[in-house]
Amino acid sequence: MAGPPNKRQKREEKHEGQMPQKKFYRQRAHANPFSDHDLTYPEHPSAMRWSEHYPHFVATIPAAVPKDDPIATRDYNEYYVARMEKRVEVADIGCGFGGLLFALAPRMPATLILGLEIRTSVAEFVQDKAKALRLQQQQQPPASAGAETPPVPGGYENVSCIRANTMKFLPNFFAKAQLTKIFLCFPDPHFKARKHKARIVSATLNSEYAFVLAPGGMVYTITDVEDLHVWMVEHLAAHPSFARVAEGEAEGDECVAVMRRETEEGKKVERNGGRKFVAVFRRLEDPAWP
Amino acid sequence: MQHPFQCIASVQLPGQATGEEYLAAACGPRLMLVNAGKGIVAARWSTSPTNATSEDKYDEAEAGERPAKKQKTSNAASHAPNIIKLTVSPNQQYIVAVTDDKFIHVLEIVGHGELKELSQRCMPKRPCAIQVLPDNATIICGDKFGDVYSLPLLPSEVAPIQDVEPGAEDGEAAKQEDPAFKPSATVLTVHSKRNRMALEAQMQQKNFTAKKEPLKFEHKLLLGHVSMLTDVIYATREVEGKQRGHIITADRDEHIRISRAPPQSHIIEGYCLGHTEFVSKLCLIPGTDLLVSGGGDSWLGVWDWPTFKLRRKFDIRDAVLDVVEEVAQRADMDTTEAIKQADKSVVVSGLWTAPFTNAKGKQEIALLVACERRPSLFIVPVSRLMLKKDQKTTQSRIDYPVLDVACVGDRLIVSVDGRRDGSPCLRVAQLHQAEETKGEVLSEKDEEMEAKLQCLMTSSKDIPADDKALDDLLYGVGNLRKRRGWDAPGDGAGGTEVDPTSMPMDPNHTEVVEVEDDLTVRKL
Repeated sequence: MAGPPNKRQKREEKHEGQMPQKKFYRQRAHANPFSDHDLTYPEHPSAMRWSEHYPHFVATIPAAVPKDDPIATRDYNEYYVARMEKRVEVADIGCGFGGLLFALAPRMPATLILGLEIRTSVAEFVQDKAKALRLQQQQQPPASAGAETPPVPGGYENVSCIRANTMKFLPNFFAKAQLTKIFLCFPDPHFKARKHKARIVSATLNSEYAFVLAPGGMVYTITDVEDLHVWMVEHLAAHPSFARVAEGEAEGDECVAVMRRETEEGKKVERNGGRKFVAVFRRLEDPAWP
Repeated sequence: MQHPFQCIASVQLPGQATGEEYLAAACGPRLMLVNAGKGIVAARWSTSPTNATSEDKYDEAEAGERPAKKQKTSNAASHAPNIIKLTVSPNQQYIVAVTDDKFIHVLEIVGHGELKELSQRCMPKRPCAIQVLPDNATIICGDKFGDVYSLPLLPSEVAPIQDVEPGAEDGEAAKQEDPAFKPSATVLTVHSKRNRMALEAQMQQKNFTAKKEPLKFEHKLLLGHVSMLTDVIYATREVEGKQRGHIITADRDEHIRISRAPPQSHIIEGYCLGHTEFVSKLCLIPGTDLLVSGGGDSWLGVWDWPTFKLRRKFDIRDAVLDVVEEVAQRADMDTTEAIKQADKSVVVSGLWTAPFTNAKGKQEIALLVACERRPSLFIVPVSRLMLKKDQKTTQSRIDYPVLDVACVGDRLIVSVDGRRDGSPCLRVAQLHQAEETKGEVLSEKDEEMEAKLQCLMTSSKDIPADDKALDDLLYGVGNLRKRRGWDAPGDGAGGTEVDPTSMPMDPNHTEVVEVEDDLTVRKL
């Protein structure tokens, strides 16, 4: 079969720091969320090795801990390398080619942003792009030395991507109330009524978003399919853990503007003259036990 | 050939004298209520083949856009559907039976153990776990699609037609909607040539019925996983002087989720994560905050469920392999090969608790564990679950695979798959602990009661049984195991080579593995 092996080879031909090309990472736009893909995921959020994704945010070994500390010696490095200074707080579920991620990263340089994408090649593209961007930033001469473009805040060190099926494994990655923002941008509309359970927003899945979101956290949705917009608004607004943010307030949110402009799909809709429907929801506090 | 009893449950009738314990036993499509003390079958009830036709009707309505995929139930319409789950309401007045045509049947026990069917309701997907809540008025039911519904135990007289789903409007909205079909896609949202053609075809189509027919009885969607549910239990815990209800759900994707009970079932309290294979059974240990879970891992998870902490991985691998070795020896087979085969496929198919009197004469609780197709029942006193060094289980050697267990009085009734040689399919034992065996719990056969239960065998002799159908009915848990590496993407990312001989390639495996179109599939 033609395709993947060739593409893979082409992907690897680029030299380090060169931006990956989308055309070598294309993949069919639909994936079956119910199937057992060969996914890798931690058995528990604490088992996730975030250090590989955000090496700049790895906790340094405190000077006070002696190297032969009986607690630390077992796997001294293992233990500290896996420790992070920060946790992921922003998740872009179904990040695609990562347009939103790379637009958000400089705007919140101290916040860890993670894209989650079910398509292997696409997730790989985002990872390669993050690597390339980081390298570019590192190699760029400091502004004082007369650089053409000013350095990007955070140097893209705070953005990464993993391949994951969030509909099944969201709680494997994030602990309770860990996230402050979740983006659901241009999700697969799954037009057929029979496939509605495959939609990223559903009455039952919303409970999982509520679980990983801290009270006050936000869910941002955008789509060009009006039916899906109505569906998402209906289901999120009806969920007792969420309340829709008034349109005026939502428009004032910088994230909404970025989401409209910078997502890859958003640009495509723009080109085709489509419409974009935005809705933002706030995670409410859990009520007391009855 | 004797059809084994796939589910059994104990029933305590009000005002029942000691020695008059009742047992409900499901044998294929038939449900029997037996007075175990006297050895009399008190009532019989059977599912009727007519159900199958109404199921088909439902499926047609559901499909809408195209015919639903063929149901792979082994039952043709002419056969009466088998009972796959059995539960008794806490007040012992009702028996709820689930059949493999997705129906929930509620039966009332009237008079001296007669059965009267009150209702039958067809669920949208095959139920996999069912329980009647302590209020004796609500059924919770988890299904293969990952959803948990609650339904009233006794449907109200006037069945309200509504699809109560958090978020969805009720039936009204559906009715008001324009009957003419309008595709959700527009020329602005589909771009590829083929999709545009499909859209055009859709636009020309008339009288299109995409409406999913709502369930015709009162029900509520409580929560859902995007995975097949395997077990659902309701648990209460006293906090600050008040009882708090929880729903604990387990799925094929290694999760155990703890949600609040209705009306706050949308709130997830936490997850008990740590399993690396499917979870198939959950079991609460009475009088403690411990939850035991089992499935495709070679250990049982012992959780402190209010804090979601894994307290202990209780290894059962050695115990299972001992049984495998012994079976192989008896059958004159290569023991090393048998062990090698079995090592990768420990499948916990049943977890139960049973009271017993310990060596000091005190009441204690034992955990009983059954593994699929293994002719043994593993017994662990609950007090030992938390002892760090002790991994020992007592095996109660039973000659046939264990299917279900019920406690009737102080007796343990074990349903076994003894289809072949007409030996009793129901074994009766009593647990006791002897000082001289270092506190191990032993089971002692109760021949007298076993003989009395023979009446069930005689009244189920006429139920047809063939090997393949029985295997499908009784041994489905092993099929939950994921076939890792099988649908690995062809571009090599994370694709693991798997020795095809080690794969559990079950031809009866009904799980459809869908593969993304543009990925090359590595053929075995």
